Amino acid sequence: MARNRKNQAVALRFGAALKAVAFCAFAGAAAVGYVWQKNQIDVLGRQIKQREIRLAELRDQNKKLRDQLAMLQSPGQLALKLQQLNLGLIQPHPGDVWKVTEPVEVATGDYTAATGAQVAQH
Amino acid sequence: MEKKLQHYRFVLLGGLLVGAFALLAFRLVDLQVWRHEELLDLAQHNTVRRVRNPARRGDILDINGTLLASSIKVKNICADPSLLGNLQAAVARAIAPVLGVDENRLCEKLLATNRTTRDGKVVPRLYVPVAQQVPVEKWEQVKEIMANFPVPELERKPHLTRAEKLFLQGLRRRAIAVDGPDDQVRQYPQGTLAAHVLGFVGRNPDTNSIDFGQLIGVEGIERTFNKKLAGASGWRVIERDCRGNEMVAWRDQDVPARDGFNVVLTIDAVVQTLLENALREGLSSSSAANITGIILRPRTGEILAMASLPDFDPNRVPHNAELRRNRAISDFYEPGSTFKIVTVAAALQEGVVALNDRVDCENGAFKFGGRTLHDAHGGHGILSVKNIITKSSNIGAAKIGLKLGERRLFDYLGEFGFGLPTGIALPAEARGLVHPIKEWSKVSIVQIPMGHGVAVTRLQMTMAMAALANEGWLMRPMLVNRLQDNSGRLITRFEPQRVRQVVSADTAREMVEALKTVVLPGGTAVQAALTNYTVAGKTGTAQKPGPGGYQAGKYIASFIGFFPADNPEVCISIVLDEPKNGYYGGVVAAPIFKQVGSAVAGYLHIPPDVGPVATNTTLSHLNLGSARTPGRLTLNDN
Repeated sequence: MARNRKNQAVALRFGAALKAVAFCAFAGAAAVGYVWQKNQIDVLGRQIKQREIRLAELRDQNKKLRDQLAMLQSPGQLALKLQQLNLGLIQPHPGDVWKVTEPVEVATGDYTAATGAQVAQH
Repeated sequence: MEKKLQHYRFVLLGGLLVGAFALLAFRLVDLQVWRHEELLDLAQHNTVRRVRNPARRGDILDINGTLLASSIKVKNICADPSLLGNLQAAVARAIAPVLGVDENRLCEKLLATNRTTRDGKVVPRLYVPVAQQVPVEKWEQVKEIMANFPVPELERKPHLTRAEKLFLQGLRRRAIAVDGPDDQVRQYPQGTLAAHVLGFVGRNPDTNSIDFGQLIGVEGIERTFNKKLAGASGWRVIERDCRGNEMVAWRDQDVPARDGFNVVLTIDAVVQTLLENALREGLSSSSAANITGIILRPRTGEILAMASLPDFDPNRVPHNAELRRNRAISDFYEPGSTFKIVTVAAALQEGVVALNDRVDCENGAFKFGGRTLHDAHGGHGILSVKNIITKSSNIGAAKIGLKLGERRLFDYLGEFGFGLPTGIALPAEARGLVHPIKEWSKVSIVQIPMGHGVAVTRLQMTMAMAALANEGWLMRPMLVNRLQDNSGRLITRFEPQRVRQVVSADTAREMVEALKTVVLPGGTAVQAALTNYTVAGKTGTAQKPGPGGYQAGKYIASFIGFFPADNPEVCISIVLDEPKNGYYGGVVAAPIFKQVGSAVAGYLHIPPDVGPVATNTTLSHLNLGSARTPGRLTLNDN
């Protein structure tokens, strides 16, 4: 059987070219991807660094505010403020302090038990 | 011929190429194989840095969270004079006021643009320290000033050369910079409050230590809890690019720092303030050489306040070591009559005497061992054991000591903790001075029962009194309540610790009955009585020993008491060294006790046990946090 050699040869060349293009495309994409990834790593690295700095700043700020609050609540500061405001507040004499206990709340269900009352018989 | 020439040319070119490639290959092998280690080190030296990440020193807080000691972040600032051009004076003028340094001195530093190396070469100076320990806010201001530093002659130009651009960039970004990692300084926001308890910090002088130059506790809690407060430094191995920025992806080891724990004391800043204010007034009115006060909870041994005046400001540590010494634990003294509580309690416990037994006090003069003992508060005839405490009879105490005997007296000294450190979490605690029996003189057996011939610390004596208030249980003094991390999470809680029961609860109660009479009319400390509370206590007045015997006119006056006597919440000790205006404990120390006691009782909401208030109300304790909740006790036997 005679075969069309010319056509076969063309088909082979086209396939090889296609493969070459595909390979080049793959290699190119891999290279671009590699560079893109490297760039992303660099960008993310910078972002991490920025966030680390920001976190440290916020922690410092937080600590500073906590210290400030503690200072404002300190007995010395409160005494000073009282002096400045001249409110005439003094510590009560122990004899002037009356302490009372809160009445204990009795649940409804336990009322009879608590009071000793009889449940209605009718 | 033409072909041959072409062939030669081809061979020559090929040979040259092969040779060139061979040379390159040789160089490659040289760099990558033979000199690999050397070049790797060099490359890493240029790019890799091990950055220390210092830990933040923990805070010291009082029981209610009041800040007593804290650390603030600071930076050390340096300059590169080679980047300043001829603007040294202008830069100094701009940043000196912010940094709080002298402008002229700073200018001089910046003008030193060259330095001579060891081998005599003159090289540009690239580093000049400008200011140490600059707060972050000030550094931010300096950075802002430098970032916008005006250089009019360059700013006027429409186009700058590359060199001019680089100069401007260097001047504004790198000429003034931070030197090394962040540093920290210790701050005591309450000033002198509880200075002797807190202590102070210094810098680690050990050049071999990784923490060289870091804060280290020198005295007080700062020293005892240094390891817990200091935390652990971290580190990070990083690579930098050509601009000096870190390449985060290339980060190698990254060990974060563990900040120091916060130490929460049992000290209550308000109680401490009340005590210190009263002591200051007492020191001023008595003109004493020094005065000491301790307030603690007898049931738990928790110390609510401890002060020794004159004191110091830990923010500016004085050179005078006398001011820095915590006399409450580091000094020992002959306690005088307060020590009678030990003698009488021991005798009661051993059944040698009963509270109502009568003792002949010889009308104030008792001869023993060739010496004559006298009673300080006038002569007494026959007194009951209870009245010996009330009147503080030396002769009565001496006779009880004789009945008790040397061995038993000595044993009880040890039982009450004398001659041994109490175990408080503070450095430099003295043991006191208790001689072994074989070193006792003939009169020791009558001297020691009245508080002479033995030396104790203020804290030991207070703990002994607290033991009687606590049904005979001697507690370990407790100064630290807990350790917590930065976010307030509990790390360790310290529980009260019983040391031992020195006398039975019955004996302790009998002693309390006797001690109650001291503040009643006829007792030695009427001025210590509180309006709404039953006080039990004992005065002490001891002549100070010197090189040639006891020193005339030099006394240590004290009063140690607790209240409410039958349900004690606080034990207060006041000791004055060499008071000038009066010297009896009942005269100079008792009024201070009263002043402190009244104020503390009000603040701690201690339910009164005397007067109409005590009988007419249902007493309940307000829940105001652990320091203000009386009677909280979880015990670990020790």
